[in-house]
This record gives sequence, C-alpha cells and structure tokens, in this order.
Amino acid sequence: MSIIQQHTQATLSDAWRTINIDALTEDSSVNFDVSTLHPPLPEVSEADARAINGQVRQLLRGGDAEGALRGCLEMPVYNGSEAAKETHLHTVIEVLQSIKASEMTPMLQRIYAQQGGSECLDVLMKYLYKGMGATSSSADGSSGRATPARAMTPQATGFSQVGQRPMAANESTGSAMSVLLSWHEKVVEVAGLGCIGRVMTDFRRV
Amino acid sequence: MSQSLRPYLQAVRSSLTAALCLSNFASQTAERHNVPEVEARTSPEVLLTPLTIARNENERVLIEPSINSIRISIKIKQADEIEHILVHKFTRFLTQRAESFFILRRKPIKGYDISFLITNFHTEEMLKHKLVDFIIQFMEEVDKEISEMKLFLNARARFVAESFLTPFD
Repeated sequence: MSIIQQHTQATLSDAWRTINIDALTEDSSVNFDVSTLHPPLPEVSEADARAINGQVRQLLRGGDAEGALRGCLEMPVYNGSEAAKETHLHTVIEVLQSIKASEMTPMLQRIYAQQGGSECLDVLMKYLYKGMGATSSSADGSSGRATPARAMTPQATGFSQVGQRPMAANESTGSAMSVLLSWHEKVVEVAGLGCIGRVMTDFRRV
Repeated sequence: MSQSLRPYLQAVRSSLTAALCLSNFASQTAERHNVPEVEARTSPEVLLTPLTIARNENERVLIEPSINSIRISIKIKQADEIEHILVHKFTRFLTQRAESFFILRRKPIKGYDISFLITNFHTEEMLKHKLVDFIIQFMEEVDKEISEMKLFLNARARFVAESFLTPFD
C-alpha cells in the first residue's frame, strides 16, 4: 500500500522526492542558527558607510595614510546592506592603493603593535579576500557576456593571433589584484598565519 | 618565475597552510556516516568562510574550508580559444584518472577548471606541507604545460599547412 493516500497532481510527479525534508525539521543540523556564533552586531546603513568614506578621504588628503587605514579598519561593515558593504570595500581598497609599497611593512608593524592592532589586521585580511573575490565575480559577468561574441568571430579555429587579447583589458584589474596580493603577503609577514585562520573561522563576515 | 606570479602563489600557499587544519568529524544528519562537510553542506556552523585569491580575472583560486575537508578550485589562465580547448582537454584527462591522484575531485565546481578535495583522512596519511607543495607545483606546471602545448600545436599546424600547400606552389 502506498504511503500517499490521496493522489493529487503534486504527488503524481517525482518532484516531491527531491525535497530536502531535513530542512523542514526544526532541530535538524541544517537549521542551525549561525547568528548565535557571534555577538549582536550594530547595523550600518549605506549613508554611514559613505560618511566613513568621506572622513577617510579627508585623512588621505591630509597625508595621514596610517590614520585613514586604521579608521576604515576599526569600523568594518559586518551587518548592513550589500551597498553599504560594497561602499566600505571601495573605501578600504582606495586607502590600500594610495599607500606606497615601501611604507606597507612599517605601517602594518606600527598598527599591529598598537592596542587592538591584531583585530585591525584581521579585518584588513577579510577585506583583502573580499576584494579579490568581489572583482573576480563582477568580472565573471562581463566575461560571460563576452563569450558569445567571441564564439561568433569568423575564425572560430582560434588560430588567429590578431584576435582580441583579453589580457590587455584586464590590466587595470590585474594591477588592482597585484596591490591586494602584495598587501596580503605583508600582512601574513606581520601578523602570521593565524590571521588567515581567524578570517576563516570568524562568522562576522564583511 | 614572473614577478606577479610569485605573490599570487605565495598567497595561495599561506592560505592553504592555514586552511589545512582538519579534524575527524562525523555527519550530524546520518548516523555512522562520515562525509566531507564542504560537499554535504548539512551543517552551516562547520562551513568556514570561503577565501578567493585572484591574480587577475582569468586566474583565481577558491578555497572553501570546513571542519573535516577543504575544497580548492583553480581557474587556469586562458588567453584565447586555443588555450581554452587545451585547458579543457588537459583537465579532462586528469579528472578521468582522479582515483590515482587521491585528492582530485571528479568534477570542477562551476566557474573553475579543476577542483581538489582534501579530507581529514588525506591529511592523516599524507604530509600537510607536501600537499600544499603539490597544489602549488600543479599551478606552476599547468601554465607552463598549456603554453608549451600551444606552441607545439601552432608549430605543427604551420608544418601541416606548409606541406599540404606545397603541391599548389
């Protein structure tokens, strides 16, 4: 005898077999509330993120790059809209790009030695990974759009060497990435591998 | 090694070393099962923040850590269609022989060319730094291999075309 007593259109199809019934059980491990893994976080609106951006820019113009970096790392956007997070990411990347390569290590060492400096560098590491991930995912969309156009070129053989070299267009993102990569290297030098470990295990995600 | 490749590989190396910290963890949903949590995705609290390392938009690595397994996905540089085909053939060749590579995943995750899955059982019987070295060496070699194959292919195509067109000269 079938378990299903009354047949409807929904029970006749096989679609119900693919329902994840674990998700419907309240005490299943799938429904674990991840927000219990971190303290309650203040919500940051997009306007606040823009205000921080303005302050940081002012510090940068005043030549206080270290203050600018500390300023944006002390107020990370953990709880907020996508737009607010995006704005803050741009703020951090802007500061990182304006700092010269020779100043990176001494500045990180000074920040690390200060009160709460270790947390600052953890936040910096979070933004470095986010920066590398975000640009690649937005670039993903553009390359997805470029593919059909490339497939329609008359020489689909791929032997033509004169064809568009996608590398040329990537130079700007490539240089942005190399800035993030060199910062990554410097942060690991100063704060050690534990810094990456804390980025992975922290459920306060930027 | 080119100047921009070194910081990229260094970042991958340090991230992998930090991520390869695995312990035995039995499934919380099925009794007496022990599955890679990063694949099963049945317990959100044991899945850690995924890390992306990118050199440019065509070359990146995604590391998805969890309590008992980590998944590493690599997007190999593809400058044109020839390289795209070569990368596809090359990764297909490897994934078809996945069982002899132990940590190779049979199917790459979406948006990447090749994936590795390292579980706590792998780290128990293999050396962690050797596993990291293997991934880094793979990333170094694969670029070299692809560009070598492309050069060889172009040289061969030129030779074939020349000998084919000789009678019409």
